[in-house]
Amino acid sequence: MWSSVFSTLFTMRFLQAIIRLATPIVFAALGAFTAASTGIGNIAIESIMTFSALAGVLGSYLFNNAWLGVICGLAIGILTALLITFFSMKLGADAFLIMIALNTFADSVAIFILYQLTGDKGTTASLATPILYTLDIPIIKDIPILGEILSGQYILTYICWLLVIIMFIVIYKTPLGMRMRACGLNADAAKTAGINVERLQVLSLVLSGVFAALGGVYLSLNYLKIFSKGMVSGQGWMGVAANGISNGNYWTLILSGVIFAVFRAVSIIFSSNSAFPTDLVGAIPYFSVFVILTAASIINYYRIKRGKIEEH
Amino acid sequence: MKETILKLEKVTKVYPNGTVANRDINMEFEKGEIHSVVGENGAGKSTLMKMIFGIEKPSSGTITYKGEETHFNSSMDAIHAGIGMVHQHFMLIPSFSIVDNIILGEEPTKSIFIDKKEAAKRCQELSDKYDFELDVTAKVSTLSVAKRQKVEILKTLYRNAELIILDEPTSVLTPQETEKLFDQLRFFKEQGHTIIFISHKLEEVKQISDKISVIRNGVSKGTYLNSELTMEQLTNLIIGRDLDNDMDEYKTHEDFHNEKALEIHDLYMERNGKPVLNNVSFAVKRGEILGVAGVEGNGQQELVKCITGLEETRYTGDINICDKTVNDLKIRGRREIGMAYIPEDRMVDGVAGELPISDNLISTYYTREDINGKLFMDAKAIAKMSDELIKTFAVKTKNARAAVNSLSGGNVQKVVVAREYNTNSTFMIAEQPTHGIDIGSAEFVHHKLIEMRNKGAGILLVSADLNEVMDLSDRIIVMFNGKIAGYFPNANKVDENELGMYMLGAKHQSAEEIGGALND
Amino acid sequence: MTENKFSKLSKNYKLSISNPKFFDAVKMFISILIALAITFVILCLVSSDPVNAIITILTGPLTKTRYIGAVIESFIPYAFAGLAAGVLFSAGAFNLGAEGIYILSGAVVTAIAINPVSTSPVLHPVLCFLGAMAFGGIMMILPSFLKAKFGTNEMVVSLMLNSIYAGIAAYVVRTFLGTLKRGGNSSKDYLATARIGYLYEPLRISACFIVLIAVTIILYLVMKKSRLGYQIRLAGTNPRFAEYSGISAFKLAISTAAIAGVLSGMGAATALLTQTSFYTPSQSLVGIGFSGMLLSMLGRNNPIGIIIAAFMIKYLEQGTAILYFVDKSVPSEIVAVVEGIVIMLISSQHFLRKFREKQLLKEGLEEHVE
Repeated sequence: MWSSVFSTLFTMRFLQAIIRLATPIVFAALGAFTAASTGIGNIAIESIMTFSALAGVLGSYLFNNAWLGVICGLAIGILTALLITFFSMKLGADAFLIMIALNTFADSVAIFILYQLTGDKGTTASLATPILYTLDIPIIKDIPILGEILSGQYILTYICWLLVIIMFIVIYKTPLGMRMRACGLNADAAKTAGINVERLQVLSLVLSGVFAALGGVYLSLNYLKIFSKGMVSGQGWMGVAANGISNGNYWTLILSGVIFAVFRAVSIIFSSNSAFPTDLVGAIPYFSVFVILTAASIINYYRIKRGKIEEH
Repeated sequence: MKETILKLEKVTKVYPNGTVANRDINMEFEKGEIHSVVGENGAGKSTLMKMIFGIEKPSSGTITYKGEETHFNSSMDAIHAGIGMVHQHFMLIPSFSIVDNIILGEEPTKSIFIDKKEAAKRCQELSDKYDFELDVTAKVSTLSVAKRQKVEILKTLYRNAELIILDEPTSVLTPQETEKLFDQLRFFKEQGHTIIFISHKLEEVKQISDKISVIRNGVSKGTYLNSELTMEQLTNLIIGRDLDNDMDEYKTHEDFHNEKALEIHDLYMERNGKPVLNNVSFAVKRGEILGVAGVEGNGQQELVKCITGLEETRYTGDINICDKTVNDLKIRGRREIGMAYIPEDRMVDGVAGELPISDNLISTYYTREDINGKLFMDAKAIAKMSDELIKTFAVKTKNARAAVNSLSGGNVQKVVVAREYNTNSTFMIAEQPTHGIDIGSAEFVHHKLIEMRNKGAGILLVSADLNEVMDLSDRIIVMFNGKIAGYFPNANKVDENELGMYMLGAKHQSAEEIGGALND
Repeated sequence: MTENKFSKLSKNYKLSISNPKFFDAVKMFISILIALAITFVILCLVSSDPVNAIITILTGPLTKTRYIGAVIESFIPYAFAGLAAGVLFSAGAFNLGAEGIYILSGAVVTAIAINPVSTSPVLHPVLCFLGAMAFGGIMMILPSFLKAKFGTNEMVVSLMLNSIYAGIAAYVVRTFLGTLKRGGNSSKDYLATARIGYLYEPLRISACFIVLIAVTIILYLVMKKSRLGYQIRLAGTNPRFAEYSGISAFKLAISTAAIAGVLSGMGAATALLTQTSFYTPSQSLVGIGFSGMLLSMLGRNNPIGIIIAAFMIKYLEQGTAILYFVDKSVPSEIVAVVEGIVIMLISSQHFLRKFREKQLLKEGLEEHVE
């Protein structure tokens, strides 16, 4: 039984799968990181992904156009982010509690809407929805091996990696990014330098909502092609975990996201083989997050203790 | 006739909770002068400056800058108009370089990117022009306090500030550094800058100012030419009464001197491979106050951390409290032996702001028998004790159930001091015990510390306020670079400038002389 | 002097907006009204007879004894989850692990309930309870331990553990406790001795109800009057201050997590031993732990507030379930909408603040006149 697993482990399809699976996690990680850069812990990524995934499918069905579906998903992501800022900044609620509440009833709200519109509490399978396509990249697709892996992926996957590069430039090379980081590191200092901290925080949370929304619509319009209950299944949290591991380091963030995707891919391979207990195999990705996050914090703890790095 | 650069007319600020911070303030600032604004802590200087700098909006009245009425919505607007401010607590980002800190918010760009080369060039030129001796590519976290202040000043100059507000700039400097700062301020004045100098140190104000404006209780008490005002007149204007300065009557109690409240041998601690505490040895006897002077960041904070055991710290050497070795104990164990602690940052470490005063008054001895029943805590006893403490310490509040958040800074500090006082400890660490509170509360805190000393407690006073250290202490040690640089067995006979030399590391005593800190 | 004291007393207890407790109550009431109003708007959109729909939701459960009985039986496990979350939130801990603990200790309850460990109909359920409580208490500690010791993000860890525990529970039930009878996902039937009967059948009041009330009262006393409660309060409002005061954050984190775990274990046992006769990890207890967090927010971390909130939410759900018989357009998930709105409004400190500030200002001025 192990041989069949190993034979799939080192194939093109496995690498392709990793790239596919990494997309939503990297989107979520970008979302968590962007919000954290201005000092906001966005733990609502998971729920925003759920809302946007549903909105994406419904929009696509309604307008009979997948890209309009994406726009609907983005709109919902932005609205949710604004809802959080409204309650936390205008009404003085504890943002953490608001976000925990959002996460907790996200599924119920999504099901409620789903039921109203389709009469089904589980999936949108009954709706004929236009979906997004895969993309063949002209020259690269003809290169052996590399072409197989890099070409023919979902369109949002390419957008994801493009955004990874763009966000790196924005955060580390532009005035906007420097100001955002300043807000996160010392909000008072930013304020007295004439920066509108609150506005940047709202902006970063909205951007965070956009990334989470992209992760959501990727799942429902690209990867799974339907919305189904519980489809986000912790991928938003994996993004939050990646941000926790990154400790403010951008490339650690991205790498962590990809590593989580590797474990998801492994889990899928194992579960396709009935010799392994499916219940346990399904928990592999979560277990990997648990182990890596814990290990990272333990290492960090001892580094601070030995006086190697300063706290914060 | 000089031209007026800034004019305040009937400026009033009322906060939403009803506090009137400023009332009908009229003030005029002329171009190219050094103009001090003085007053007690809490008199309303900071609020006034925040309004000038656009952080707060006046409730009524007008601020006219360069002949135009201002309507600043944020400090951004004030900065664009040419106003700069150096805050008392530095507004810097330690992990950024000097350049990044300076250009933040006003970044030179090349297309959409920050032009780092251009930025570094401009900052270095600026630093060199004013003789600031900074390598602008260095990280701020590696700089001394005095250098950080220079970065703050550079920030305002980079933004072409014509009017620079300095909020208590000397509070963190040694006398010598202050002297240097004053030279620079005079140079700015020559260059045509206008300086607003906020301070409560009157000697410095007299030394540097052209004009002095006084604020008391949020109300302006007039503007005077420095030359027309004597020190006594100034003091009277500021507090409206004579200061209670005769603390001498309490001094020197020899009754407990054989017993040691704290004894430290060869304390050594490292961070990032560098020693931050280096062979520190001294003792605090019962019935005395030992003052620790020093420029911020020379090991005082680490020293306090080691002694309190509040955070996990790795040190070598021995710390004894009341003749017991406490190296292996955490803060709780040390408190049980007889340690009390007034922390530097009262809102962060010293209280739980949302909880009632009564809860805050018992936290460090909540298990004590007199406030506990068999199963539960004794609410009645706690209420009674809280009421008594509130009365003795003159905490201004409606009742003991009010949240600590609702109190003023001075009253919060009184709550902290009341609690630590009530532990009846033999040893007390007072870390910046009067930082940022009004004179009345500060005096009260000082009296209570002295009362504790007279009752036989040994007190370690760590303060950046040199006057406080000199006024309260029986003996003084000066810390520089993690070491004891000087020891003064008789605080009465110490000269401020002499202390300053040790604080800056310009002077250093021999090991034998310093040994007195432990053995006297 | 005495007169003065009396007037002071009456001032402290008068029902005024400036009294924070009264203000909270008013805020809660207005939040519920707003939530119901919004619910009504939603009902207008989805239902053909919105007036009847909202009346059914609000009064339906009162129309039959067995409806109220269903509410009483079903709210108990949720109330336990709410109490567990309340303890953790009070201590400022964001350990969201109750969900996983419910599912995992469900397996423990099941393991004891399907085996003849005792023939006594009293001792057998007690053993089930003890097993679940001990196990829940221990397992809940992990995220809090990692947080307190190494600073690991307890929220993410606890959520990951929820999924891991769910996997483990499913595996254990399928492999060791299962029967092929129900498709392999469920356990064998519980022995009759393990099940808990009713003390008063029409209202479905069982010993679990008594236990819940007792636990709530004890918890209330512990939180308000005991030294542990004081420690939790301190650590929950300002952990650094608690540490400074000599309260070990580490010990406190461990003990609050253990208490929450024990409560979760109890909750799982109450659910399984009264409402079902077998365990299906993917269904039986899913969602209860998460709901507990919402209940805790609704009840403002106060044990008594939490069980009232649990009862109300289950009451509304029962109302929508009754409505569902006649009007299929309104699913029970609408209760989540009500819940969400109320939570968001009551946790908004600035909501109604202007109103209160005006009142405070007025009273402040009056006092000056005196």
